[in-house]
Amino acid sequence: MGGLEGLASGFAIALTATNILWAFIGCLLGTAVGVLPGVGPAVTIALLLPLTTQLEPTSALIMFCGVYYGAMYGGSTTSILLNTPGESASIATSLEGNAMAKRGRAGAALATAAIGSFVAGTIATVLVTLVAPPVAEWGLSFGPAEKFSLILLAFMTISAVLGTSALRGFASLFLGLFIGLIGTDALSGQIRFAMGIQELYDGIDVVVVAVGLFAIGETLYVASHERRVVETVERIKGSLWMSSADFRRSIGPWLRGTAIGFPFGTMPAGGAEIPTFLSYATEKRLNKGPDKFGEGAIEGVAGPEAANNASVTAALIPLLTLGLPTSATAAIILTGFQQYGIQPGPLLFTTQADLVWALIASLYLGNVMLLVLNLPMAGVWARLLTIPRPMLYAGIVVFATISAYGMRNSWFDLFLLAFFGLVGYVMKRFDVPVAPCLVGMILGPRADTELRRALQISQSDFSVFLTRPISAALLAVAVALVVVPAAMRWRDRRRARAQVTLG
Amino acid sequence: MGGVRDRGGLAISVAVVALALFVFVELPSIPADGGYSAVGPRFAPMLVGIGLLVIGLLLLRQALAGGWRDMPPPPDEPLHAPSFGWIAGGLAVQMAIIALVGFTIASTLLFVAVARGFGSRRLAHDAIVGAVLAAAVFLFFTRVLGLSLPASPLGVI
Repeated sequence: MGGLEGLASGFAIALTATNILWAFIGCLLGTAVGVLPGVGPAVTIALLLPLTTQLEPTSALIMFCGVYYGAMYGGSTTSILLNTPGESASIATSLEGNAMAKRGRAGAALATAAIGSFVAGTIATVLVTLVAPPVAEWGLSFGPAEKFSLILLAFMTISAVLGTSALRGFASLFLGLFIGLIGTDALSGQIRFAMGIQELYDGIDVVVVAVGLFAIGETLYVASHERRVVETVERIKGSLWMSSADFRRSIGPWLRGTAIGFPFGTMPAGGAEIPTFLSYATEKRLNKGPDKFGEGAIEGVAGPEAANNASVTAALIPLLTLGLPTSATAAIILTGFQQYGIQPGPLLFTTQADLVWALIASLYLGNVMLLVLNLPMAGVWARLLTIPRPMLYAGIVVFATISAYGMRNSWFDLFLLAFFGLVGYVMKRFDVPVAPCLVGMILGPRADTELRRALQISQSDFSVFLTRPISAALLAVAVALVVVPAAMRWRDRRRARAQVTLG
Repeated sequence: MGGVRDRGGLAISVAVVALALFVFVELPSIPADGGYSAVGPRFAPMLVGIGLLVIGLLLLRQALAGGWRDMPPPPDEPLHAPSFGWIAGGLAVQMAIIALVGFTIASTLLFVAVARGFGSRRLAHDAIVGAVLAAAVFLFFTRVLGLSLPASPLGVI
């Protein structure tokens, strides 16, 4: 099915009353958790995974995607109005956004963020519509060897490229890989690392790990290290609209931000952090406007917000066409598919064409909904920021425990939740990124399976990963991503040492 | 070198090495036979074990040689143990009593404990907010989502 044809049938499904409702609920929830500090889209979707037993796949996944990009819209409200930005992808926005709000220009900042998100999200969705089918077609030629190499590449990028230390990224990844090994092996039925604990025979649930690492870990951290942080919420003064001068100044950053964000989203480099800062730096360099950067220049809000949304939308391409999540949230959405026994990947566009296209159609719809939800109602969302922190975090923890306990009413799951909460706290405290752990846990078992399948087909010949050209190329990129930066650091250190001895 | 400064980093490095050793201890109990494939269910655990060991040792070397590299500055406030304790304690209590007293009561206690951990001193207020939230969530999850959660001795919620 070609792009436009598919999209037309997708709209027919996405525009039914139930699916519009679920998209709306998703966007609403997404905006709310985007605004609220302490919960992000990954945790929210994890908490909503039990819904998959009640809803049909299309509705549930439309809602999950609504939460996914709704959180990006909501996040901008927080980064503009609150002095402490929530998630890393919105730090760039907060630099100029909060400065604008302090100068009484919160309305214009919120407007350029919401409209920029809409512009970027819509352009990115058009690109997804055009690019996804050919990528899926290309992916159809992948055998187990290519799939294994592709997962390996994703592991490398998400661990080595993000964060401050590749080594700590890999520590997180391997912890996740280990967690993924626990339980019954899909190919042989052998139980691994269960230590005789029956609750572990089915493996550890993604929900427990994700919610523990993110929600409980974050709660423990904020409670014990950020007691004296005083959050000040800026008031929205004036109208929630931009002057035509603001508009003219925003168009360029929106489009450049989209152009920067989209390619980053399609690569398994994970997250929107890098493109938002790239966009910020670009706008800072190009800035000829009346406001200096650092004092509240609208260009510095428009660009990063667009980059953020474009990259988040583009991340759906590897997720849907290759089954490759590039961020923690995308990994949880992948789990959502798997709850229905659906494996995202190239086959999705043939076997589940209706579902995929309905999902893509819902993105167009969702962006319109979110623009309407966020622009005139920014003041309402801002009131969420006034919820006292004790109530907010206590509520988050209670929600977290229900989802863990509700699965099989076992105190053991609550124990695991608390345990991973502790691990999440330690990881945050010692700057070990969490996303690689989650992606490792979710993709690890698949890497294991594909590896063994590939060797089965090649009759135990390990060279199959190097003799098949696509597989070899993917592996080469994966190795280069780790080796090149490491070699450059080694050279820098040697130079620095040489200078010390010379001087 | 007189005392290690990066005690946290050291502890985590040792934990990673210990996890690697655990993997190697468990390995022999997993059959190596892969059927038609060259590698069986033991192969991936072996790779993970090797990976953990190498990473753990590299982290350990950094921790011993003056601390982990490329670390951000430590948090402005040192660990406030009572806050941490209230939340961890709340989780432990909920875990222990949820099957006995039901979801709503156990979660109300958890709510109060977490709020206390965040410095709230309004016990009655927190208990009421927590109870209302827990009851609402209980009804939503059991009635709408069809999850089963233990009810309190009162029955309905």
